[in-house]
Amino acid sequence: MSDVLLQIGKNAQARAFVNALGLPIPLPVPLRRARGPWRERPLADASVVVGASAGAELAPVIAETLAAAGANAYLTGADSSASAFAAPGEAYGRPARALAALGESERVAGVVFDATGLEDVAGLRALYETFHPLVSRIARSGRVLVLGRPSGKGPAASAAQAALEGFVRSVAKEIGRGGATANLVRVEKGAEARLGPVLRFLLSPRSAFVTAQPFVVDARTKADGDKPPFVRPLEKKVAVVTGAARGIGAATARRLAEEGAHVVCLDRPGDDGPTSQLARSIQGTALLVDLGADDAPSRIADVVRGLGGLDVVVHNAGITRDKTLGRMSEKQWDEVIAVNLGAVVRTHEALEPLLREGGRVVCLSSIAGIAGNVGQSAYAASKAGILGFVAGLAGALAERGITVNAVAPGFIETRLTAAIPVAVREAGRRLAALGQGGLPEDVAEVITFLASPGAAGITGRTVRVCGGALIGA
Amino acid sequence: MVVDGLRTPFVKAFTDFTKLDTIALGVAAARGLLKKANLGRRDVESIVWGGVILPGTAPNVGREIALDLGLDPACEAMTVTRACASGLQAVTLAAAAIERGEADVVIAGGSDSTSNAEIKLPQKVVHALAPLALGKADPKAILGAVGKLAPFTDILPTRPKIAERTTGEVMGEAAEKMARRNEISRAAQDAFAARSHHRAAAAMASGRFDDEVTPVETSEGKWVHADGLVRADTSEEKLAKLRPVFAKDGTVTAGNASPLTDGAAAVLLMSEEKARALGYRPRAAFSSWAYVGVDPADQLLMGPALAIPKVLDRAGRSLAEIDLVDLHEAFAAQVLCVLKMLGSTAFARERLGKAAAVGEVDPARLNVHGGSIALGHPFGATGARMVTTMANELVRSDKQTALLGICAAGGLGAAALLERID
Repeated sequence: MSDVLLQIGKNAQARAFVNALGLPIPLPVPLRRARGPWRERPLADASVVVGASAGAELAPVIAETLAAAGANAYLTGADSSASAFAAPGEAYGRPARALAALGESERVAGVVFDATGLEDVAGLRALYETFHPLVSRIARSGRVLVLGRPSGKGPAASAAQAALEGFVRSVAKEIGRGGATANLVRVEKGAEARLGPVLRFLLSPRSAFVTAQPFVVDARTKADGDKPPFVRPLEKKVAVVTGAARGIGAATARRLAEEGAHVVCLDRPGDDGPTSQLARSIQGTALLVDLGADDAPSRIADVVRGLGGLDVVVHNAGITRDKTLGRMSEKQWDEVIAVNLGAVVRTHEALEPLLREGGRVVCLSSIAGIAGNVGQSAYAASKAGILGFVAGLAGALAERGITVNAVAPGFIETRLTAAIPVAVREAGRRLAALGQGGLPEDVAEVITFLASPGAAGITGRTVRVCGGALIGA
Repeated sequence: MVVDGLRTPFVKAFTDFTKLDTIALGVAAARGLLKKANLGRRDVESIVWGGVILPGTAPNVGREIALDLGLDPACEAMTVTRACASGLQAVTLAAAAIERGEADVVIAGGSDSTSNAEIKLPQKVVHALAPLALGKADPKAILGAVGKLAPFTDILPTRPKIAERTTGEVMGEAAEKMARRNEISRAAQDAFAARSHHRAAAAMASGRFDDEVTPVETSEGKWVHADGLVRADTSEEKLAKLRPVFAKDGTVTAGNASPLTDGAAAVLLMSEEKARALGYRPRAAFSSWAYVGVDPADQLLMGPALAIPKVLDRAGRSLAEIDLVDLHEAFAAQVLCVLKMLGSTAFARERLGKAAAVGEVDPARLNVHGGSIALGHPFGATGARMVTTMANELVRSDKQTALLGICAAGGLGAAALLERID
């Protein structure tokens, strides 16, 4: 079912009409998305405002990332970090300017605030001072990024750092109606060099449906010092995507292939048609396996061995058997747990020895696994189990340079959500800060990023792709 | 080995040379070169020609020149196109062919006649009319063709313009963008342009160009002896009065950009043994060259800033050691941007992976006899003009090395290093 409100919102006249009626209907703004493979300069000519708390430490990375990505940086206040922007500005012909150089009425595509120097509660005032005059100037599908540290020196500093999360989550809800997102990135000491690609992704249209959440960038996964590639990041890599026949799996397979990977598209034998068609269109390999079968892991491993090794695994296959606990049959419970969690663990165990250095494992979880949902006790249990799985596995594989992460989609416009009763579906869409459902492509973009060499700083984490739908938590 | 070089006068498009197409201009330059070098028609083994606006009916301009000149039919020929670096491309191809022993005597150069740019029919018209042209023109076929042409607004012939195919950006807009991004002022651009004119005028007045420019007779019987675009009397003040062309608050004007020009230039290259055997004294040889590409959507005309360090590395030289630098002046802004990049340590670190800047270019060594802003820029001819002027200058001023840099459409850049031979 198409989103009627979103369609109206796309038409300027209809939009004006609805607004003139004064109905209490917030029309969602169509999100700006990127098509095709990654580009060298995803932020070409975008105006990005950069602010910082006293003692902030990330200016060099921010300056370098913005200039190389094609953005024009505008610095707020009497910024001591201006010197860090001089060299990259000169190298890329994008000199950083004072915010005043930008016209009063001009919108800004992004605001990056470096709060790594924040050490006391009083320092939080800088957030207000920076964002208060800017929040109304953030462009459609604009970006707010606050950068902090996972913890501070002492309780007061920790309080100040923790406060950033509440701030970002609320700003996300405030600016979400304009299609804009707000996120927090906590950078551990020593992981500064791994922040660049994360910044690039979160500032770009690729993160269209990712908002209102904290990211952590650390240095525990082994990584070579090479600069990660900006284009064709998955060249010469082999990827396996389970549940690739349709929806998020199909979108992911397409995106991974677009970035250069050879993709093994895996789905049930019953989905022979769409799976084979997809594999042909992206010049990948179709693999028809029932993940519940005993020999499934060994069959997948055989195919992967034939391709010479493995770099990316996306555990996407999943089923729902929604019933309240009282009405759920034993069989239904077992099925859900076996496919959504059991098969992931078993498949991973078979593939782990085949993963090459720098490998990437991405498991699909769900918002239901984080927040719970009526009628989804088994489903939510399986999806919450995924969170534990990635957290537990990350440490063990760090030494091999392999990251393991979960992606938790919220309301995504797929065959699954089209079957939901209309009232519930509407609520699902409007509850999000962005006021609409996401597309399978939005999830695929996040998975593609996590699968790329530049995501070496993120492991053992869960990334929500929910448009800010999670209330509270 | 660069033995000699010669060019036609460069004149503004749609003036004296309007009736001479790129082939006729090429013939004029090559004929003059043969005469000046006192070379036999049979001696030339090959012609390598560069051009940008190629005639649709005879795109291999080089071969047409050979035939029109009455060279031995055995003299083979090719035509290359690399936008504004086409002329240099032709010369370096010839040098490479000689190095490989494919030929001993080659004429290389290039020409362009903006005056004779073909007005293109849109492909839609071509496709719609093809059945009529190739089949039977019965009423049904005519009606069918007319049907395919509707709506009629997009079948008008389009005015040729120098726009990037991928980005649609006109080159002047690219120069404007680069000026803004690299903070090049209008005053600096005008000063550079004025200097280009003054130096070119001084070279003309001193007779410096006399043995590298050959007079050309137009179809009206008029003889053109000298370049037509150089203005000795211009000044920064006069240039400052011109209005920006590509942006309202812009800095690029007709005065600090190279004009549309008709002209041709040719260079005579030989192997060292052959040159000495025939009694010629070679002037210079290429010690290295490089062609690079950058993303046309970023800084379209920055190519030379990447090509020049490559050329220096390949030759094992540093910029400080180079005696003369000749940069093609597509726009004053573009030259100044490239100079700024070469002088920037930050640029060297980020974009070249080098610890130190490539180096500053002393204005006294740069474009000593002016450049494309003053002389004009027949796209295919410019590279060959630069090679000739620099080879002559090395001998005359008793210098050892000359560095050439050219930016070109499509985000291309070219550079070459000439060394004098004694």
